[in-house]
Amino acid sequence: MSEFQSHALVLAQQSTGLPWLNEAKQACADQWQTEKWPTRKTEAWRYTSLQSLESTLWTLPSDAALDALPDELMALDAIRVVFVNGHFSSQFSSELPASLTLFSQASDAEQQAILAKFNQVAKVEKHLFSQLNTAALGEGVFLNLRANQRLEKPVYVVHIHTGSGASDYVGSRLLLSLETSAEAVVIEHFVTLSDASPMFNAVTEVDLGENAKLKHYRISMESEQALHLGSVHAALHANSQLTGFTLATGSRLKRIDYHVRHLGSGADLDLQGIYLPKYNQRVDYHTNVEHCVPHCTTNEVFRGVISDTAKAVFNGRIHIHQDAQKTLAEMSNRNLLTSNRAEINTKPELEIYADDVKCAHGATISQLNDESLFYLVSRGISEAEARVMLSFGFVNELVENIAIDEIKEWLRPRMAKAFGQSDDVVRHLIHDESID
Amino acid sequence: MFVSDTMLKINDLCAKVEDKEILRQLNLEVKPGEIHAIMGPNGAGKSTLGNVLSGRPGYEATAGHVEFKGQDLLDMDPEIRAREGLFLAFQYPVEIPGVSNMELLKASVDARRAHAGLEEYSAIEFMKMAREACKTVNLDQSFLKRGVNEGFSGGEKKRNEIMQMMLLEPSLCILDETDSGLDIDALQVVASGVNAMRSADRSFIVVTHYQRLLDYIVPDYVHVLANGRIVKSGDKSLALELEAKGYSWLENEAV
Amino acid sequence: MSEQVESLIRKEYSAGFHTNIESETLPPGLNEDVIRFISAKKNEPQWMLDWRLKAFKIWQGMEEPEWAHVKYPKIDFQSISYFSAPKSLADRPKSLDEVDPDLIETYNKLGIPLHEQEMLAGVAVDAVFDSVSVVTTFRGKLEEAGVIFCPISEAVHKYPELIKKYIGSVVPQRDNYYSALNSAVFSDGSFVYIPKGVRCPMELSTYFRINEMNTGQFERTLIIADEGSHVSYLEGCTAPQRDENQLHAAVVELVALDNAEIKYSTVQNWYPGDEQGKGGIYNFVTKRGICHTRAKISWTQVETGSAVTWKYPSCILKGDHSIGEFYSVALTNNYQQADTGTKMIHLGKHTKSTIISKGISAGKSQNAYRGLVRMGPTAEGARNYTQCDSLLIGDRCGAHTFPYIESAHPSAVVEHEATTSKVSDDQLFLCQQRGLDAEKAVSMIVNGFCREVFKQLPMEFAVEAGKLLEVSLEGSVG
Repeated sequence: MSEFQSHALVLAQQSTGLPWLNEAKQACADQWQTEKWPTRKTEAWRYTSLQSLESTLWTLPSDAALDALPDELMALDAIRVVFVNGHFSSQFSSELPASLTLFSQASDAEQQAILAKFNQVAKVEKHLFSQLNTAALGEGVFLNLRANQRLEKPVYVVHIHTGSGASDYVGSRLLLSLETSAEAVVIEHFVTLSDASPMFNAVTEVDLGENAKLKHYRISMESEQALHLGSVHAALHANSQLTGFTLATGSRLKRIDYHVRHLGSGADLDLQGIYLPKYNQRVDYHTNVEHCVPHCTTNEVFRGVISDTAKAVFNGRIHIHQDAQKTLAEMSNRNLLTSNRAEINTKPELEIYADDVKCAHGATISQLNDESLFYLVSRGISEAEARVMLSFGFVNELVENIAIDEIKEWLRPRMAKAFGQSDDVVRHLIHDESID
Repeated sequence: MFVSDTMLKINDLCAKVEDKEILRQLNLEVKPGEIHAIMGPNGAGKSTLGNVLSGRPGYEATAGHVEFKGQDLLDMDPEIRAREGLFLAFQYPVEIPGVSNMELLKASVDARRAHAGLEEYSAIEFMKMAREACKTVNLDQSFLKRGVNEGFSGGEKKRNEIMQMMLLEPSLCILDETDSGLDIDALQVVASGVNAMRSADRSFIVVTHYQRLLDYIVPDYVHVLANGRIVKSGDKSLALELEAKGYSWLENEAV
Repeated sequence: MSEQVESLIRKEYSAGFHTNIESETLPPGLNEDVIRFISAKKNEPQWMLDWRLKAFKIWQGMEEPEWAHVKYPKIDFQSISYFSAPKSLADRPKSLDEVDPDLIETYNKLGIPLHEQEMLAGVAVDAVFDSVSVVTTFRGKLEEAGVIFCPISEAVHKYPELIKKYIGSVVPQRDNYYSALNSAVFSDGSFVYIPKGVRCPMELSTYFRINEMNTGQFERTLIIADEGSHVSYLEGCTAPQRDENQLHAAVVELVALDNAEIKYSTVQNWYPGDEQGKGGIYNFVTKRGICHTRAKISWTQVETGSAVTWKYPSCILKGDHSIGEFYSVALTNNYQQADTGTKMIHLGKHTKSTIISKGISAGKSQNAYRGLVRMGPTAEGARNYTQCDSLLIGDRCGAHTFPYIESAHPSAVVEHEATTSKVSDDQLFLCQQRGLDAEKAVSMIVNGFCREVFKQLPMEFAVEAGKLLEVSLEGSVG
C-alpha cells in the first residue's frame, strides 16, 4: 500500500445512515488497500503521473453556504440537482420528480432498487478511483425511469466547489437506470467558484434497458488548480442507445474514463468528446468500449486542442469479443497542437476476436493550417483571433452535432470562453448565434 | 462440342433461402444455341434461379434434378460448374480490393482450360485477348489493372461482367438483371457483347425485369416466373404483352 | 584459457553430438563461465568479453517483459544451450567443396543451392547454420568495391575499431531483456560495412536457420553504411520441425550515416508449431536503425513463421530530413501469436516516416500490431503516415491494433488509419463462380491485400513471399 493509499482511507471513515452503503464502502476500502499503486510503467497510467494527487492529505469538506447560484448555472431550463462541496443543496435544487431521488432520502423500495444497481455496471475492481469513490461516498443521486417513461425536461446535475479549501475531496455518484423504452436527457456539470484546488471524484453509472435512450452530457470545467478523476460506466441492453458527449477543459490533473459495454444486440453508442487543456494543464481520457454481442454499433469521435505547455492523452479502446459478429465500430481522434511545447499522446486501440466485423480507427495530429490562418488574417482579423476561431472551429463541429438545440446554445459560448483570456478574441464566437 | 443435345434440363426444382421456399417445382429446358428470357414480378425467384444454378452458398436445392450438358449439376462445387462452362453475370458484382481484374481473369481462364485439358494461354496472348474484350464492351484498358470492380460505377461493373464472360467462353451464360441500372448506351454495349457471342453451341438465360433489353437481345423463348415456378412460356411477343399488361393477370395461375 | 573452461570443453565433447552434422553443443545453462566459454571459443579479445559480461550483469537485474499481447509458458533460461557450432568448422572451409555435404544438402532442401547462387550474379550468401557463419561467397567481388561482409566474430578481430564504435550504439545492452541476453551470449551473425559513396554492387543475403534441438539462437548483425553509400540486405529464415519451443533472440543494428541508404528485407518462415500449436520458434528480436542527416532506412518484412513473435524493427530519425519506412506483412495461422510493429522516433527536423502494416489472422491465431510514432520536441515539420489493415479468416482468430502516437511538436503531422475486415463470402463466391477453388481464391485475395508491401521486396523475395503465404494458409478455409 502506498502512502497515499493509506492517507486516502481517512476519506472512508465517515459512515452514512444507509447500512448497505456502509457495507459497500467498507468492502471498497478494504480492496483499495490491497491494490498495487500505479506507476508510469502501468499501461493505463503510462502518460499521466498521479504525483499531484499524492502530495495532498485529502479531507471531506463540510457543507458550505452559498448566497445565490451564479446566473450561468440557472441558464438551462431543467430539473436542477445542485451539490455544493459534495452536499446536496435543497435551496438551489428543483423539486425532484418521483423518478429522481437522493440515496439518503430514498424509500425502502427505492433503497432496494438502488442496491440492486449500485456498482453493478461500474466494475470497481477494475477502476481504482471508482473504488475510492465508493469507499468515500456520502450521498448519491438515483434516476429510475420505468418502462416507456420519459422525462419532459433534462436532468441537470451540478457539482459546485466553493471556498478556499486546498485539500477538499468532492465525491459524487450518479446512478441512471432506464427501463425498457424509457428516455432521458442528463447533463452533469462540474464547476469551481474559486481558484481553490479540490479533487472531484465523480462516478456515473448508466444501465440502459431494452430500447431505452439516453443523451448524456458531461461537462467538466473546473478551475485550473482542480483535480478531476471521473468515470462513466454504461451497460447497453438490446436496441438501447447512448448518446454521450463529454467536454473537459484542462486542469492540474483530469482523468476521465468511459467504460461502455454492449450487452444486447442492436445497441448503439455515439460518444463524442472534446478536451481543451492549456497553460500547464493535463487532460487524460481513457475510453473502453466492449462489444459482447452481435449487431451493435459504436461511433466514437474525440477532438482536442492542446496549447501552451499543456499535455493531453487519449487512449481509446474498442474490444470486440468473439460473439460480437456484425459489429460496426469506428473511432476517430484528431488533435491540434497550437504551441511548440504542447504534447499529445494518443493510442486508439482495436482488439478484435470476431471475424465478421467492420472496424476502423483513425488518429491525426497537426497544427493550424497556415492557409486558413492567412485567409482570415487577409480579411482583417487579428492573428490571435484567427487562431482562436480556427481552433474553436476544429472542436465546434462536435458541438454542432448535439441534437438538442438548447444544450448546444448553452454550451457553445461556454466552450468559446475556454479559448481566450480576453473576451475580445472570442466575442465573435460567443455572439455568433445571436445573429442567426 | 458435347454429346448431349440438351444444354440444361431442370426438372421439378425446389429451392429455399434461409428456410424460405422460393422455387417450387420449376421446370425448364434449354437447348444449345437458344436464348431464354425469364421475366416476372419482384420476389418471384428470378435471381434465386441463377444463384441456385451456380451453386451460391445459402441457396439450397431441396428437391428436383438439374442436368447440365448431361451431368448432374447440383452435385458439382461452384467452381466446377464454372469450369464446366456455366457463367453467372452477377446482379450485384462484389468488389475485391487488391486483386486486379487481370489476375482474376487469367486465373479463371487458366482454371477453365486446365479443366478441359487445354494448354494455358501465354501471358502475351491472353493480354491481347483481354484488351480486345475491353474494346468490345467499351471499357478502358486501365480497368484490367484495377482491383476487381473496385470503385467501378454500376454500368462499369456490368460491362466488366460481360467482358469476363467473353474471355471465359462459357457454354451457358446466365445474365442476372444485367440490364438494371444501365442507361440506353450501356445497354446497347452489353447487348452487342452478348450478340457477338451467340453461337450454335452456346445458350443464354437472360433474367430481366424489362422488355427493353429484349429489343436488343432477341430471345427464342420468354418465360414468366411467378411464385417460384414458370407459369407461362411463349416467344418474344409474350414480353411485349407483359410490358403492356403487367404480371398480375398471370400470378393467379401460379398458385 | 582457464582450467574451468578447458574442463567445460572436454565435458561437452564427451557428451557427444546431436545431429548428423557433428556439432559442439554447450550443455544447457547460463552463467558467467558460459559467457567466458563462448568468448574463448571465438578467441575474442578482452574488451569483447568485458562487454559481454557487462551485458550479462544487466540482464540478471532485468525482468522478462509481459506487456506484449502473447501468452506462452515461462522460459527457463537455464535449460537452454547457449553455444552450438557445426564441428566441421573447426577448420574454416576455404571453398564450398570443403563444406560438410550434409549441410549443403540441408540448404538444398530449403531451396538455397549455394553452388547455383555462386553462379547467379547479384547475391552473396553468408549462411548461418545454427550460430556460426559457414560459408561466405563473393567475398572477392565485394572486397573490390571495398565492402566488408563477414561474420561478426571475424570482424571483432579484423575491424575492432568499427565494432567497438558501433556495437550497442543503436541497441544498447540494457535496451530490453532480450537485447541484454543477446549482448551477453551472441554467437555470431553478419557484419557489413559499406564505405563512403559506395553503392554495394549486389544484394547481400543471409539465410538463417535453426537446427540444433534446444539451442537458443542469438545472432547479432551490424550494418554500417558510411556517408552517401547504399546497401540492400536480405534476410531469410527457415527452421525444420521441432517438438520443443526454441528461443530466438537476435539483435540487428543498422547505422546509416549522412545521405546513406539501407534497405533491409526479411522473409521469415520459421516453424510456427503444428496445428495443435505444439512446438515452434519463440522469436524475440530487437531490430533498430539510426538515420543521420538525409539518410534512409527501409524495413520490409514478410512473416509467416514462429509460434510467438515479438518484434519491432525501428528507426531513430536523428538527422534532419532523414526517412524511415516500415512495410510489413504478418500472417498467423493455427495457434500462432504475433505482437509486431515498429517504432519511428522522430528527432530531426523534416524527418519522414511511413508505416504500412498488413496483418492476416487465420485459425486460432492472435495477431497484434503495436507501433510507436514519437514526434520529439525538436521534430519540426516531421511527418508520419501509418496505415494498418487487418484481414480476418475464420471466426476464432484475433486481430489487434495498438498504436502509440506521441507528439510534442505542433508542426509535426501524424496520420494513422486502421481498418479490419474479413474475406467476405461474396468475394469468395465470385471467385468460385469464375472457376477458382476456395483456397486459390483466398490466396489471391490475401495477395491483393498485401500488394503494397510485396512491391517493396526485391523481385525474387516477392515471389517467395507470395508462395509462403499460400503454404501458410493451407487448411485455413473450410
